[in-house]
Amino acid sequence: MTTAVDTTVDRADRTAPTEGRRVAWAARRNDGTHRVSGAVRAGSAAAAALIVLALWWVLAASGAWSEIILPTPAKVWHAFIQSVTIHDGRRGISNYYLWEHLWASLWRILRGVFWAFVIGAPIGLALGTWRPFELVAEPMISFLRSLPPLAYFSLLIIWFGIDDTSKVWLLFLAAFPPITLAVAAGVATVRTERINAALVLGATRWQLLRHTVLPSVLPDLITGLRVAVGFAWTTIVASETSNGIPGIGGLAWSTKKELRSDIAILCVIVIGITAVLLDTVLRLAERRLVPWKGRA
Amino acid sequence: MTSSANVGSVPIGARNADRDLHVRAVEHEYPTPNGAVKALARLDLHIVAGEFLCIVGPSGCGKSTLLELLAGLRQPTTGTVTLGDRTIIGPSRRRGVVFQQSSSLYPWLTVRGNIELGMKLQRVPRAERRTRADEELQRVGLTEFADHRVYELSGGMQQRCQIARALAADPDVLLLDEPFGALDALTRESLQGELRQIWQSTARTIIFVTHSIEEAALLASRVVVMSPRPGSVVVDRPLGFSQSGRTNIDLRADADFVETCHDLRAAITSTEER
Repeated sequence: MTTAVDTTVDRADRTAPTEGRRVAWAARRNDGTHRVSGAVRAGSAAAAALIVLALWWVLAASGAWSEIILPTPAKVWHAFIQSVTIHDGRRGISNYYLWEHLWASLWRILRGVFWAFVIGAPIGLALGTWRPFELVAEPMISFLRSLPPLAYFSLLIIWFGIDDTSKVWLLFLAAFPPITLAVAAGVATVRTERINAALVLGATRWQLLRHTVLPSVLPDLITGLRVAVGFAWTTIVASETSNGIPGIGGLAWSTKKELRSDIAILCVIVIGITAVLLDTVLRLAERRLVPWKGRA
Repeated sequence: MTSSANVGSVPIGARNADRDLHVRAVEHEYPTPNGAVKALARLDLHIVAGEFLCIVGPSGCGKSTLLELLAGLRQPTTGTVTLGDRTIIGPSRRRGVVFQQSSSLYPWLTVRGNIELGMKLQRVPRAERRTRADEELQRVGLTEFADHRVYELSGGMQQRCQIARALAADPDVLLLDEPFGALDALTRESLQGELRQIWQSTARTIIFVTHSIEEAALLASRVVVMSPRPGSVVVDRPLGFSQSGRTNIDLRADADFVETCHDLRAAITSTEER
């Protein structure tokens, strides 16, 4: 056993002279140990949540701030229980259960993003394939994208009223540019040799679109959808500031009147978790639909 | 120059002037921000149906440009390229291409899906597509990888898949642009053998661009050497090593073969020194 090379001793022996520089971050990439498993990631996230919860509990229990500024975790939990039950003869909060608020917001987002997809994806294809259209339309869409949605929300309310229509319009306008521009960028970057491969097999214009361009653009389309859903979700509170009940954003906004910081925190948590779940669903869909991403 | 056995022979029965390619007085220029760059200078070439033509030359001599003109992926600045008596104005399935980059394969399709693509575009019925794809899979030795995605294949298998995809569309002419350039020597060797087999068994015209003189001498029934930019033909001679039925190892030791390679190399070097 004396001749065997013992690498553990080798590594531990820092008193021996060394040669070369070890940059840990780069070395982990070369070793292939830089990837973190899903289980470790989930465990770390849970641990982080527990730490935040503990900190919150200690700060609230210390009595340094009033309950209105910083409610205890127990009070927020109580608000959660109230939001999903009938209490004092009333349903949930503001007459709707928590999931009804959440679903009302999700339903608005689904409709907004759906129309952005249905209208934006073909416009993106046109932008990518038809130069005159691109020259005229691309600046307009970029302009729309650069606007904070609240900037035009008043106009939408004046045009479409304070009901759901103006909210869905707002979410549509927020989701439309990311989808359209992602598809256009996807068309622009279709590999020339893939286009030529179809042409020398006798593809017509429409076959080229169907068999080469559409599959090539799919990864960009899904990326655009993820960005769009994220943007729509950050816009939802703004869209529900007027007549937004039921709606999770409307609920969060309404708490300021009665200083219900417990419900406000509950809403923040629900909105955050939902956003993460939505993105996870889209990421899983991407992995299923575009298994070649990053590999070819 | 030494003459070789079976000079310029074309497989019997393949003679068909409808499938000859003519390059007539072709010049080609690329626009660049600093003015046009001339890639091809006045090129005339008659490619007889059934030939295995290798185009050799230093990098930047316009050999890939010439191939793209034959494929119809580019139009010459002046002159014409014709197949039979028809002027080539764009790509068609009569002129199949094996591209230099295997990324021309579709990663969203399986190996079989890629091979069936051409037939699918021609609306060949599903059952027939399957049978013909099976034949091509067999021919290039990818039968057991039929249901793999192309990015799971090695570089050599990807180029086999490209060859099968091109052949499955049943072209008259097969154009290959340095298809084995990125492969290791051993893989390259076996693919050369398979390509020679394909030429002999299908009697198709094959036009093969390479920068390897030895590869050209091993495969070609006729070799064309091009000068550096602007490219033009400096040597055009028939060869017979490919049809001799001898192995590559055998040929490399053959004095005649060695001398031919030497002559071709000397021709290229002299054009570079001009």
